[in-house]
Amino acid sequence: MKKALTFIGIVAVLVACRKKELDKIDGPSLQDLNGQFSVITSLASSKDSVDFSASETVFFTAEFSKTIAWKLDIIGLTSGAVKTIEGTGNALTESVSLWAGSTTSLPLFKSENCKVQLTFTGETDTLVDYVKVLQPKTNAGYVVADFEAGFNSGWTYFIQSGADMDFQVKSDITAPQGNAYYNLAGTVDWDWLIGLVNFKATAGGNPTFPLNSNPNNVYFNVMVWGDGSLTNSLVLFQFEEDENGDGTFTAASEDQYAVEIPVNWSGWKLISLKYSDIPCLVNGQPAAPNGDGVHNSNKIKQVNMLHLANPSSGYAKAKLDYIIFTENGPLNP
Amino acid sequence: MKFFILLLASFTSLLTFAQDGKKVQFVGGARSLISHSDFTSDAEDTVTARKNTGGYALIDLGIKINPNANTEILGMLRIKNAFGGFWGSGVTFDVRQLYVKGVAGNVLRYQIGNIDYKLSPYTFYNHNPDLLVQTSGTNKIKEEVLNYESFYSNKNTWRQQGAAADFAIQFPKFVQEIKFNGFITRLNPSNLSNILERLYGGGNITLTQSKYFSIAYNHVSVFDLKQTANNNDAYRNNVNTLTYELKFDQEKYKVSVDGESGFSSSFSTQNNEGKLSDYFVNAKVNLELKKAGLKLHVGYMDNGADFRSFGAQSKRIDFNQTNNFYERYTNEQIVRPLSNYDLYNDPTLYNASISTKIMAYNPMINNVLPYGTATFNRRGLYAGAHFSDKKKIILADLSYYRLSEVRGQGTFELRKFNYLNSNVRFNFSNLMKWKKQQVLQLGIAYQTTKRTSEFDFEKIDLKTLTLHTGLELEVIKDLTLLGNVYYFNTNGNEIMPIRNTVGDIINFYGVVAGGDEYNLSGGLKFNFSKDIYLAAIFESNRNSLNDQLAYRYKQVMLYYIMKF
Repeated sequence: MKKALTFIGIVAVLVACRKKELDKIDGPSLQDLNGQFSVITSLASSKDSVDFSASETVFFTAEFSKTIAWKLDIIGLTSGAVKTIEGTGNALTESVSLWAGSTTSLPLFKSENCKVQLTFTGETDTLVDYVKVLQPKTNAGYVVADFEAGFNSGWTYFIQSGADMDFQVKSDITAPQGNAYYNLAGTVDWDWLIGLVNFKATAGGNPTFPLNSNPNNVYFNVMVWGDGSLTNSLVLFQFEEDENGDGTFTAASEDQYAVEIPVNWSGWKLISLKYSDIPCLVNGQPAAPNGDGVHNSNKIKQVNMLHLANPSSGYAKAKLDYIIFTENGPLNP
Repeated sequence: MKFFILLLASFTSLLTFAQDGKKVQFVGGARSLISHSDFTSDAEDTVTARKNTGGYALIDLGIKINPNANTEILGMLRIKNAFGGFWGSGVTFDVRQLYVKGVAGNVLRYQIGNIDYKLSPYTFYNHNPDLLVQTSGTNKIKEEVLNYESFYSNKNTWRQQGAAADFAIQFPKFVQEIKFNGFITRLNPSNLSNILERLYGGGNITLTQSKYFSIAYNHVSVFDLKQTANNNDAYRNNVNTLTYELKFDQEKYKVSVDGESGFSSSFSTQNNEGKLSDYFVNAKVNLELKKAGLKLHVGYMDNGADFRSFGAQSKRIDFNQTNNFYERYTNEQIVRPLSNYDLYNDPTLYNASISTKIMAYNPMINNVLPYGTATFNRRGLYAGAHFSDKKKIILADLSYYRLSEVRGQGTFELRKFNYLNSNVRFNFSNLMKWKKQQVLQLGIAYQTTKRTSEFDFEKIDLKTLTLHTGLELEVIKDLTLLGNVYYFNTNGNEIMPIRNTVGDIINFYGVVAGGDEYNLSGGLKFNFSKDIYLAAIFESNRNSLNDQLAYRYKQVMLYYIMKF
């Protein structure tokens, strides 16, 4: 019985050892959340201008009387690009409001003035500040095409002789990246194909695109514009692999992977796909590839872009920009 | 070499397989369910299809191979055919079980593949915190189905995929035996990009000094394997505990002290600032009065607010998921929230995996111990009793918890909890010495949560009551009449935390409770043999937990269940 009492005594000592936690709470204070809202320190940016191409960043600060859900919108006054940061707290600090030049909704930011706007859930207050982007951020990755220098002479194309055909590089303020994009438009009432472009690795001076050999680490990214009222466009991307390294793609014995994108939205949209997730398609249906069946991302020789539409659907229209391969994750524009 | 090692001949002999000499056996089960339901709601609803007929037939076909006396291999396939499906449509094939187990060198017991495993209540343990009352009658059939589907057993094991091994050493003096257990399982594979391979492993060493004293050291760890993806931030959750039992056994009574104490630490290798570490103590004194058939215990628990042990705090049900049975209703097609009785009705709500996030729970179902005994941020006393007379006419269990939080949520004020749970089983057949089984089962679970404050927005006052009555009357040989009344009532309010992906509380939302749910059911069950039966069940359910959106349904179910 003595042993039992000793044991109980040890347990009691352990229990008594717990430190009091009366000075701590879990989570934000309910008094903060339910109290009166007021701005203690107004919105301010850490610098007036920022050069994202030189890896500079900017952050924003503000302080409020209570914990509240807030939303910070940074709006490019020339491009219309928007970066949104949301959070909950009683202050904006560097850790929650750091901006490295990325965008939430396309287009990308340009060299421009930006309006910074802070709003709060359930409150009418809006705080405003301004910051100037000296140079937009540069994205890591291999750019297949951004059309800034026009149509590369190393690419090839085929355009049907339909009605209202408009396949060309255009330059205007609506480009999501830089100033130029590729326009795809026309009516072809006898074939699904309206036009195509072959983006060849050799156009950049390489036999194959210089990519990582692990297809799980390689991402294909492209910005596609949809009309919204015309949802008949399909954009098909084909990836041809030169598996045997003979300098040509042999359809009968080498892999071709493909993705078909129905353009059924309005405005610009970033499409990002992990290369290993891209299937082999035959007539739009998944099929076994003709080569080794392995996604060899370092052996992609050519990317084909085909603009398609049902021939009975009439005029089809889409736009393309900023075709880029990235590694270790999709493009963070 | 006085302390020579006795390899466990008796231990291993228990593990010798194929005693009957069969090298290949077919094992498994089969089940068929046909159901028809009729759903109506108080709110205007011209959209939801009122009546629904469905069902399935499935067979779990396992082949057990014993290539030698010490090895067993099991592979089990499931073929499931949705009611009305045929020739490929609605038919699925799955691998349900796969393992190899055996005894190596007459010393080491091992199992590879599917393993059913547990260690201690605070390290690796499948608590059942959401079905608060014991069932019988029609509900027992449903509970058996959901337990079978998710590999739950009354031993509180989790079904995992990995490997386990154990062995023991016996000593002639001072120490009776030391047992060693170890396991390793895989929680998630790497995606070869940014998600690391996550494993879960551990084990324990149990020292039995004599029949009076035993002590065990338990360790479990969730850990990411570095270099399995392009991510250097590896997660770790380590839990170390001691379990102990000290017994004093006399002819008329037995006194014992047992419990578990330990600590945990959770962190990622590149974020040491976010490290969480805490400890817990749980100890109880037990008294057994042998003649009276009465067992009593009283205990104290103190589980730190930052104590994390995912193998013991994973819930069987993810309360963030939606229903499969009448998922939406009303003209607005709102999502029908998980009700208390849905937990019996739908086996697909349950999971068999360990979650490394703090899982959501329903405060109206269990707010006191939502993660079982291992619930963090709980401190207080508990007591209980178990009674069983010699003829087993009455079996009764009673437990009571009086707990509070250790650390307040959003305020310095602490929640106070009361939880009473009791189940009583009357075996009239034992009283009347009838051969046919006549059982009445009663269950009650009552919980209160209260937080007082000078501010109204901090006040919490929540009460929930679950009542269950089940009846099993064997009217003629092998034919049993079943009946159940299930009632759930809740009233009051709670302020629930909203957590981010790493488990930190970032906000709160209010829950207002008021209403009840009842389920009346009856049926007939015919036993073709001990392991084969056919049961027909009719039930009527009404749920008015939201009085504007109250609903009711009636359901007829026909079960055919076989094990072989």
